[in-house]
Amino acid sequence: MTRTVLCVDDEKRISTVSAAIDAEENLSAIEATSVDDALETISETTIVGVVTSYNLPDGSGMDVIEAVREEIPQTPVVLFTDVSPAEIDTGSFEELLVEYLNRDLPDAEDRLGFIMNDVIDHSAQVGFLTPDDEDERLESLEQYDIEELPIEESFQRITDLITAQFDIAVAFVGLIEKDEENFLACTGADWDSLTREDTMCTHSMLQEDVMVVEDIANDKRFNKNEQLENLGIVSYAGANMTNSDGHVIGQVCALDHEAKTYTAEEKHQLEQFADTVMEILELRQSLRDARGLEVSQ
Amino acid sequence: MSINSDGFGVSELPIDGVENGCSILLTGEDTDTLKSVFARLVAADDDERSIVLATNAGGSSIQRSLNDARTSAGSRASILTAEGPGRGDNVSSIDDVGDLTQVGMQFSTLVATSQQSTARFRSGIFLCSTIASEVEDTRSMFRFLNSNFLTELRRGDGIGVVAIDRSADIGTNVDSMISGMETSFKARIDVEKTGFNEAKLEISGLSGSDSTVDISL
Repeated sequence: MTRTVLCVDDEKRISTVSAAIDAEENLSAIEATSVDDALETISETTIVGVVTSYNLPDGSGMDVIEAVREEIPQTPVVLFTDVSPAEIDTGSFEELLVEYLNRDLPDAEDRLGFIMNDVIDHSAQVGFLTPDDEDERLESLEQYDIEELPIEESFQRITDLITAQFDIAVAFVGLIEKDEENFLACTGADWDSLTREDTMCTHSMLQEDVMVVEDIANDKRFNKNEQLENLGIVSYAGANMTNSDGHVIGQVCALDHEAKTYTAEEKHQLEQFADTVMEILELRQSLRDARGLEVSQ
Repeated sequence: MSINSDGFGVSELPIDGVENGCSILLTGEDTDTLKSVFARLVAADDDERSIVLATNAGGSSIQRSLNDARTSAGSRASILTAEGPGRGDNVSSIDDVGDLTQVGMQFSTLVATSQQSTARFRSGIFLCSTIASEVEDTRSMFRFLNSNFLTELRRGDGIGVVAIDRSADIGTNVDSMISGMETSFKARIDVEKTGFNEAKLEISGLSGSDSTVDISL
């Protein structure tokens, strides 16, 4: 599948950049020659990567990067420039983060295509860490035919039970995929999916035990997260859905609009809910696999 | 000491060697002890270079620690420091460690420059907990680790060490953050000062076996 990469540079140099991107078999360049032009493309076109120059006719590459981080935050950006880092004004853009590629390097154009593919393949600029076995985990997640399994009602009953058990506002079952968390069932809210770096579950899944955040206002990992604020989340507890391959594929979570503590017993209960959800998912998949086998015979 | 040909030897620590591409999370509550163990892991051998981001130590202080760990290792290091002046060819300074956009660009430039003289490198951040306390949004720190530190390890011929002071006030539950980060790193070493000149290391993920060892500082 071809990956569309937005290339931003002035009229004189844009063709060199887009040619370097187009030279890669699986990349396709789309050009913009100003900040305004780039912002329009970002809002209208699906792109998987951005390469921008620093000096642009109506602003700087940092304006483009800022727009990317706001609109499509997980999309990687390469700043391709002959301006040295010390000369780049980052004062107003302290936490944008970007891959810097010095355009003066003799093989800079050859490296640009390689780097763009690398940062896309490895989600290299996302604001969360992934498990060391992320590739295997995603592969393991693919074995479930989620859309085809009759799991929604069972999971909905469990999230209903969780809200009643802990006297909380929201409970959900979510699968953590490469770029987002998809909610399979949710009580107390109507959520379909969230960008992965906006979720608390992407942190919780990295921990062996139930992760509890009693009040996100006091936790810098989450208290600047507008998505969480918009959803009204104040407290969080998340337990891992660990499948029979040993991979954490999702979370079962309890949320409230107020600060909340969880006892060791309550954390254990949440783990039991998560184990039950995982068991149902695996049994349903086994049944489907067995039926498929019968039909093929 | 036996290590495979691609591995990185570690002086003054009871570790057989660190595999190429390995990321190590180094944690502890005593900054001086952490610094000593950090230097032993990051000090470059003759055919290597060290690239260190020093958030709360000056360039010459890091160079001295590296020299203590391995003869002349300080001269084989490129240091980006947020403390003190950028003196000498191999020490550059940054004004604000919270400006991760600038730090990231400077750091990756140092890695690229060092790779022009030798492909093998040891990168290190001392201390990542300072970054965590300086940034407004912890997601920026993770973005920094992904887009610089872990990317360089994936693409290049090196190892990396991220040191975290567990006693630092970082605006979040430090143990929860470490336990999350641990899953992303290949190895973890927890350092506990046990006496005037002694420390205990709890090592996991290195050389295929977990162990607890005592060392002299």
